[in-house]
This record gives sequence, C-alpha cells and structure tokens, in this order.
Amino acid sequence: MTTEKKEKWVSILITTIFAIITLIALFPIISLLIASLRPASDLMREGLSLFFNPAELTFSNYLSIFSDNGQQYWRWYINSILISSMLIVLSLFFSSMVGYALAMYNFKGRNVLFVLVLFILMIPFEILMLPLYQLMITLGLIDSYLAVMLPLIVAPIAVFFFRQYCIGLPKELMESARIDGCTEYGIFFKIMAPLMGPSFAAMAILQGLTSWNNFLWPLLVLRSSDMFTLPIGLATLLTPYGNNYELLFSGSVLTIVPIIILFLFFQRFFISGLTVGGVKG
Amino acid sequence: MEPSTSTDTQRVRNKRPSKLTAFLTSRKIAPYVFVTPFVISFLLLFLYPMIQAFVMSFQQVLPGQTTFIGFDNYERLLNPTFYRALLNTSVYVLFTVLILVAAPVVLAVFLNSKLLKFKNFFRASLFVPALTSVIVAGVIFRMMFGESDSAVANEVLGFFGISPIDWRYGSVSGMFLMVLLASWRWMGVNILYFLAGLQNVSDELYEAADIDGANPIQKFFYVTLPSLKPVVIFVSTISIINGFRMFEESFVFWQANSPGNIGLTVVGYIYQEGISQNDMGFGAAIGVVLMLIIFIVSIIQLKFVGAFKED
Amino acid sequence: MKKFVGLALVPILFITGCGGNDGSGGEEAGGDAEETEVIGGDAEDATELTFWTFNEQHIGIYQPAVERWNENNPDRQIELTAEVFPIDQMNNNLRLALQSGEGAPDIADIEVSHFGSFLEGEPQFESMNDQVEPVLDDMVTGRLDLYSKDDNYYGLPYHVGASVMYYNEEIMDEAGVDIDSIETWDDYIEAGKQVTENTDAMMTTIETTDQFTFWPLIAQQESDYFNEDGEVTLDNETNVETLQFMKDLIYEHEIAETAPGGDHHEEQYYGYMNDGGAASLLMPMWYMGRFIDYMEDLEGKMQVRPLPKWEEDGNRTAGMGGTGTVVTNQTENPDLAKEFLAEAKLTEEGNIDLWTELGFDPPMHSVWDSEEVGESNQYYEYFHDDIFDMLLELNDEVEGLNITPETSDATNEINTNVLNNAIRQESRTPQEALEEAADSVRSGMSDE
Repeated sequence: MTTEKKEKWVSILITTIFAIITLIALFPIISLLIASLRPASDLMREGLSLFFNPAELTFSNYLSIFSDNGQQYWRWYINSILISSMLIVLSLFFSSMVGYALAMYNFKGRNVLFVLVLFILMIPFEILMLPLYQLMITLGLIDSYLAVMLPLIVAPIAVFFFRQYCIGLPKELMESARIDGCTEYGIFFKIMAPLMGPSFAAMAILQGLTSWNNFLWPLLVLRSSDMFTLPIGLATLLTPYGNNYELLFSGSVLTIVPIIILFLFFQRFFISGLTVGGVKG
Repeated sequence: MEPSTSTDTQRVRNKRPSKLTAFLTSRKIAPYVFVTPFVISFLLLFLYPMIQAFVMSFQQVLPGQTTFIGFDNYERLLNPTFYRALLNTSVYVLFTVLILVAAPVVLAVFLNSKLLKFKNFFRASLFVPALTSVIVAGVIFRMMFGESDSAVANEVLGFFGISPIDWRYGSVSGMFLMVLLASWRWMGVNILYFLAGLQNVSDELYEAADIDGANPIQKFFYVTLPSLKPVVIFVSTISIINGFRMFEESFVFWQANSPGNIGLTVVGYIYQEGISQNDMGFGAAIGVVLMLIIFIVSIIQLKFVGAFKED
Repeated sequence: MKKFVGLALVPILFITGCGGNDGSGGEEAGGDAEETEVIGGDAEDATELTFWTFNEQHIGIYQPAVERWNENNPDRQIELTAEVFPIDQMNNNLRLALQSGEGAPDIADIEVSHFGSFLEGEPQFESMNDQVEPVLDDMVTGRLDLYSKDDNYYGLPYHVGASVMYYNEEIMDEAGVDIDSIETWDDYIEAGKQVTENTDAMMTTIETTDQFTFWPLIAQQESDYFNEDGEVTLDNETNVETLQFMKDLIYEHEIAETAPGGDHHEEQYYGYMNDGGAASLLMPMWYMGRFIDYMEDLEGKMQVRPLPKWEEDGNRTAGMGGTGTVVTNQTENPDLAKEFLAEAKLTEEGNIDLWTELGFDPPMHSVWDSEEVGESNQYYEYFHDDIFDMLLELNDEVEGLNITPETSDATNEINTNVLNNAIRQESRTPQEALEEAADSVRSGMSDE
C-alpha cells in the first residue's frame, strides 16, 4: 500500500471513530428530544428505552406546557430571561470597566487588585455561600432578583478576561483622544469600549449561560415559586410530588434548545467565552 | 453589546471645569473610579463573608441567639458522615481530573490532525453538552440510567449479557453516574483548551522528531505532551477546583439525601447542615475546612506537575 | 439535656398524617408541585392571610373553611393565599424566615418529624391554647401534644391516621388466602409464601429510602426512635429485631422485595403496584388517596385491614406521620389567623371535611359517629369497606410517638443509611446499622 492510500484509510478510520464519539456525546440530547414526545409517566416508570413505539409519540407533553399547568413554567422562563439579561448588562458594564482600568492604567494598588482578582478566582463560591446568604437576609434581599445577581455582577473571571483583552489594545488611541479633549471616561466609553466588541460578546455569553444554568445560589435565596428560575423550577418537578413529569420533559427541552440555537449562530463567541481561562495558557 | 453611557459622557462634557470635576476626571483618579465596583464587591461580597465564615465556624447560630462555642464545630466534623462526604468528593475529583485531562488531550490531537474530516462539526458537537444545565442533563441521565431493564443503560448491559444494575443505589455505580455526567458536560470545553494549546506547538519540533525517526506515538509523548504542559496545569487546576465545588451532579440524582450517602459531597454536606438543618456555624466550619483542603491539594498538584519550576 | 417536645403520648389514638421524611417523598402530597391558590378572593375588604404547605391536598379543607368563616363573619372577611412547595424547600424557607424575622406566612404546615426542630429555642409560633382549650375534651389530645411545648399547643393536627395493611384481594384470592385469616405476622408470612408460590406477585414491598415500613412496625410494638425522656432508643432490641424481620421477609422467606424506586411514593412503585406487583402493602391510612390518584386499575380490588399482630394481645396498628398547622408570630393579624385556623381544624364541620375532602380520620372524636362521616364517598367506593368502623375499633391500640428536635436527624439516618445498608446493600447487620445511626444522632445532641 502506498503512503497516500494508507493515509486515506487512516483518515476514514479516525473520522468514523469520531462520528461514533460524537453520536455518544449527542445521544443524551437526542434522547431528551425523543423522550419529550413520549408519555411522561411511562418514562418515570420504565426509564428511557432504546426501543420505543414510534406510533406512541405525541405532543401532549408540549400541550401541557401551554395549558394552565404550564403557567408556572413560563413564569420561571421569564424570571430566567430577566435575570440573565439584567446580569449580562450589569456585569459587562462593571467588569469591563475594572478590567480596562487594570490593563490600561498604571496606578498604585493595581497589582494588588489584580492578584485579588486571581485569588477570588481560586476560591469556590460555595465556601462563602452561608455568610453571603445571611448577608442577603440582613439586607432584606431574600427572594429578589438582585440577590440572585449580586454575587455575579463583578465577576472575577470577566474582569480577568477583559483585562487580558484590553492589554492588546493600542494605548496610542488613548493619548490622541486626550489631546482631542476627551475625558478619561469619554475615552473608555466612546473610544475603547467599542474596540472591545468581541470580548463583550464572549463575556455576554459566558455570563448569560452561567446565570441561565445557575443552581445552588438561587436555590438558597429564592423562596416563592413565582420567583424561581428554570433550573430551580425544573428541579422541583423532579420530586415525587405528582403528575408534573410532562412539564419536566418538555420544559427541559425548551430550556436548552434556545441556547443550542444561539450557539449555532454565535459559535465563535460561545467558544471564546467558555474557554476564557485559556487565554493565558 | 455596548454599555449605554450617553448620560455619563454628556455630564462629563457639559460641565464647566471646576476643581472637583477636574480632580474626578484626572488621569490619576479615573482608574480608581473604574475599579470601584470591584473594590466594593470585593469588600462586601468576598472579604466580609470570608471573615464571617471564620467567625461563624466558632459559633452556634440559633434563631435570635448566637453563642461562641470555640472549636466545637470543628470537633463535630470528625464524624463518619463528613468522612464519607470527603471520600466521595476526593474520588470524584480524582476521576474527573484524570478523565478530563487525558481524554481531551487525545481527542484534541486528533481534532488537530489533517487526517480527520469534518473537524468543525465534531468540535462543535462535542461542545454542545457544555450548554446544558446540570439539572436538565441530570434529568436525562436519570432516565437513561433508570433501574428498570428497559432503561438504555441496562438494555446495553443486557445486550452483553450483564444483568441490570440499580444505578442510583450502589456506591460505585453512583460515583460512576456523577463522574460520567461531569465528564460529558466538560469534555468539549477542555478539548478546546488543548486545541488552543496545540496551535502554539511549533512545527519545527515535529520536523526534528521526524528526522529522528519518531513514530506518531513517540511524537505525542515527547513533543506534544511537553508542549501542552501549561494547558495541562491550567485544566487540571480548574478541574480540581470544580470537583471540590461539586453539588449539582449529586443533587440531580438524589436531591438532598442519597442512599447510604453515596452521593454526599462536601458542598452537599454544607447545604445539608447549614441550610436544611439550619446549623450555620457547623456549615461554615465545613466550608473553612474545604477551603484548607483545596489550598493544600492545589499546592501539591502544582508542585507535582512542576508549575513552580522555571521551564 | 436539651429541651425536646418529648411526648409521652397517652396511647390514645393513632397519629395520622403526613408522611415524614427529609424530602424523598412520604407526604400525602398529590397534584402539582408548585402552585398558588387564592381562596375567597371575591370578598371585599378581605384581610389577606398566607398559608404555606408542602402538600397540595391539604388546601382542600381550607376552601370550605374560608367559605364558612366569611359567611359567619361578614365584617371580618378573609382571603387565603395558599402556596405549595416541595417539603425540603418549604422547611428551609420557613426556618430562615422565622430566623430572620421576616418573610414568614401567617399560617404554615410543618411535618411532624421536623416539628421538634422548629420548637427549639423560643418557638416562633403563636400559642393556640385559647382556641384549643374550649374543645380539648372532644379532641384526641395525643395529636395535639405532638405539636406542643411547655404546655403550649402550637400546631393543630390534620388527622389521627393509623397504619394498616392494604390487600389486593384479587391476588390473595388467586393465591387461595383468606385475608381475614391473617392475624399474626406468622400468618402473614405463611400467606406470603402461598402468594409467591401460586401467583407472579410478591407478598409485599419494603421501603429503603423512606421510613413507612420500619417506623410503623416498631411503633406497633411500642418502640420508637426516642423514649419519653427524649433519649435515643434507635438501637434497642425491638428495633434491631424488627429490622432483621424486614430483612428476613426479603432474603429468608423471599416474600417481599425492596420497593421499586425506593419507597411507596415513587412513580415506579405506582406503576408496579398498579400492575399487580405485590399482594399487600403496609402504609398509614392517609395513603388511601395515593391509590385513588395513581393506581386506577386497583379500584374495587383493595381491602383495608388492621396490621397483623406481633403477639396475641399486641396492637394491630401504629400511628404514623402527621402535620401540625401553626400560626407564625410574624402574622399581622394573630387573632384572625388563630380563629380562622380553629374554624378549619377545631370545629365539627372542619373535622368532617377532613374525612370527606381528604380521607383523613379527624382528630375530633366527637364527629366519628356522625352521619356525615358515615356517608358514602370515593374512599368507601374504592376500597368498598367500612373503613371508618375499622378505625374506630382500632383506636385504643395506637401508640404515640416521641417527637424531639432530633427526630429529623433520626429520620434522616433511617432513610439514607440504616435501611440502605442493612436491607438493600446488606453491608451492615441490622444491629450495626442501627447502632451507627444511634451514635450519629447522639453525637449531634451532645454538643448543645
């Protein structure tokens, strides 16, 4: 066999192996889609089977989400959307300012602050959750959107990312803007921030996704079912409390499908957002 | 997305230069204004809770009355349940780190190879699990690993002639479920880290290896892996930290209590004691110990992979 | 020694109730997981009262109670907003609200095994004594004692349930067993062998993630997790033998298996039972609703009988579960909330509703022989039996429970470790499993 022929076979082999791996990786998501079309209590009783009767497939799970029963679900959906979008706006605004300052200015304490950012990155949030939770009680913020968002607003990971990104921006622009009479704030908001576009997109996605899927903290601070976010709401459906499994499966699908669609359009930003730490690697 | 800032800038523009505004807009002061949000957030949402966690860990916190009880909370930590939580967490960390470093390296090398077709498709597909929330992923895994013979996992076992397993009731199978769920979700992200790292490996090294007559496996071990060392350090560090934080992967399978505590993690124990049992002081003590453990493990790990050595 | 709500319950009646455990099910809950329901919203100038529960079914008795109240008190109208949460979440929320001094509802349901921990320190509830005392003679006082501390009654009960044996008569007939011939547990085992020999079904199932097999069995023999003084008795001889007995049903006599899904409140279990998986089931009376909601195919096939006896003169039932409804001290209208709660729970009408709406055996014994209680309803129809007569017959055979602040710890140990290790995994002997659990509960007590 010639080398070329051999390579061709190796290529086919590797590609086939990857096709199988990918199929395995996507299998849970595909099976969720199919499961959501099957009678929900059967799934709970029998588990998800490879073999099912296609004639049994039905949209009734989705109908239940649009019935009275599903009202609560849409409430959670709205909460999740509101919290995630507010968080994106706030955290991008504040984190970019901080990251920008750490990258572009030489000021006393800069290095200390940067070390603190890295330090916080290393400390799991869970260790602080009890005192933070008490703090939320003291501040009277329990069961509010603000309580859910607060710990994520100045996200060290985002500060870190913006700082790394800004280091690559041309400082000469700042100088010429100063000569044109821009104030320091004007420089940031009018001149530099627009240059940071891609980093905003990446962080919007990272923060949005973090918030969308956030679980433990909202579980602590959210109390009334009207305030629940999707993961918290869906988790309550997991309890053996009754016939809400229809909602669980169709609700799960509707929770991840929009994200997957967004991903297909904004892949690049998703990838740079979720692999933030890698910038230094 | 661009933050809306017109009011800020207009205010800044329109004002007649006064001493105060001149001061506030000076190059000296501006950076401090920019970092103020971080400083406030650090003091209020990090430093204060951090100190408070230490203080609480020496207290018994009851409704309306908080008493200082010395090291009692720490003494109480010496109990089988905590050991179990620690053991579960450690095993989980060990396996997730091994799997989430080794497998993505290999997959990334292939994804970087000219021989693989449809790279972008594969890369994107492997990334998709990272988009799902643990809760949703857990719902699917619960269905796939149901106890009945007709659940996918047991069907597959049945195909090989193995009798069905009560996945959620055994400590080994329970751990398997949690590690599998985490590996599934993070594989794609870690692949991307390694792919990025691979772009920095210079072709000259491979050419030199070719001249020495190295086979592909030798090239992997003697050229690729050493070049990826910084990424390995990075990925293993975040995997360790994420492993010690684990809570949700267990919660989706068993909620708060698992049979025989097979799914109890350290963070789960914080939740159980601090929130469910309302013993905040004890919960805080668990947190403090967890922090120490993470520090120690991180240092050992960084030593082990040689991060402190100058390369 | 800490304070506990230790209750040497005069062995008066059974305890009914809601199942209790730490979240894996075990409440009589049915229906939707999350729901807010406003009752009496049409009344003008109505005072709004909020009510938290973990069991949607419970709301059923407040509907008629609000109507009665608003009719009788035209100038003090109320509007009740009921919110349903999963039990863990509700307990956490309530605990934190009480601790922080804000955010608590006016009225709340607390499941019995958690009630003790809510009474630790200064109870954050209104004393109900002024409402309870006038009707005390008509009530099964043991039920009220469960939710009291230092002579103050804080919680009002929903029922006086008893543990019973539910038999699938179709399977028993096929096996050739007359259910009325089963008097002792030995008889039961013999019958079980006949069932497994002659049919495809098992005799029964045993819970391994919840306590409603173990707890009734030990309570029936006048044992408990704690004694009257609040000391841990989890590892006493009776309990060890009983756990061994449960294990033997599975591995020695081979007439039982662990409940599919872990306990009797799982979808897998409902499916299994509905398909005739087991011939009998030990659960408290309040489980009747579960049959009606989830096991339609068994309608008309189920018979309710007292439990088999351990000894000749032993008890034939045991009180299990329970929920106390409290008025929190954060209510802005303490008198209104208390009087309304009394209307719902301490009146004859309210107690009749407990039976007709929820299928619970009401804690006010003066209504037991009333006409309304004797009237046919869905429970009589499904089980085609004079259930109530049987309950009345059993009512002096029920032992009380000793509830302490650590009851939830003990429950937790049983549900996560003891049953799993001793029965499902067989990694511990019953003795070892119970001793470990007892030590763990004791260690949690010693530091306080």
